Amino acid sequence: MQPEQILQFANVTTIVVGAAIVLGTITAAIVEGRAVNRAFDNMARQPSVADRIRGLLFVTLALLESTAIYVLLVCLILLFANPFAQLFGL
Amino acid sequence: MGIEAAFPQVVLTIGDLPIRDSVFYTWVILVVVTLASIIAYRRYRAANPGTWQLAIEYVVEYVEGLIHDTIGRTLPSTVPYLTTMIVYIALCNVMGLIPALRSPTRDINTTAALSIISLISTQYFGATKRGIKGQALSIFEPVALMAPLNLISLLSRTLSMALRLFGNVIAGEIVGLTMFSLVPLLVPLPMNLLSMITGLLQALVFTVLTIVFVADAMRLDD
Repeated sequence: MQPEQILQFANVTTIVVGAAIVLGTITAAIVEGRAVNRAFDNMARQPSVADRIRGLLFVTLALLESTAIYVLLVCLILLFANPFAQLFGL
Repeated sequence: MGIEAAFPQVVLTIGDLPIRDSVFYTWVILVVVTLASIIAYRRYRAANPGTWQLAIEYVVEYVEGLIHDTIGRTLPSTVPYLTTMIVYIALCNVMGLIPALRSPTRDINTTAALSIISLISTQYFGATKRGIKGQALSIFEPVALMAPLNLISLLSRTLSMALRLFGNVIAGEIVGLTMFSLVPLLVPLPMNLLSMITGLLQALVFTVLTIVFVADAMRLDD
């Protein structure tokens, strides 16, 4: 393959990975922020159930974070273990 | 070494079988936890408990409290399995932060094995409640048309638990390696702290999800 095609492959991969990471983390951060917002409001409103809310809050945050982790995994695979790099002999 | 150092390497070979370091450190944890349990068993005193016994009882009571908080009732038959899971995953994740050791959970095979064991355990606990035939036929609940969706949900839950645990641990390792290659002096330390927090949190999340799936398979509200 010509060097221009390899360069184009590298460019497109880098741009797509950058965009994917940005979108994935922004979405996860916004949604987690909304969950924490509502949790804090209700913990202040009813201090007696604050401990239960805190426990559930951490678990829910980890579950929401996991979608951002999926995006990160795909980006890491594209960067470091790209299955199409073999076609270029890389 | 590049990013490949974050993934498991082969450290020894038994006969023809290459053994990765994740398997080797799993054996290390196996020996440590078994020894701790045997010591606690030998030193068991009902009246005036020692420190070791109090520590282990704290962990078991924490898991029982977790079950009660999550599903509102206690499941005594599942407590040994869940305690083992949470202790094993927490130890695995935190082990990577000690200088000479690496985490076994940064291998996708370890996390996939853990989530497959979770899947088998949910079906097992459901079968203790409803019999093997009842559990096998539960795929067709509530309507026979839901069978493909039930199978897909079983598969996706397992996959997501494995990927969640693997992704958190390997992301911490890769970021730590990258920071270490840039500024080796003191900058990787906050990443170590963050990895410790997320390691314990992921052990908790894995256990809570297993509790929810076991309770779902046992159909406790019937």
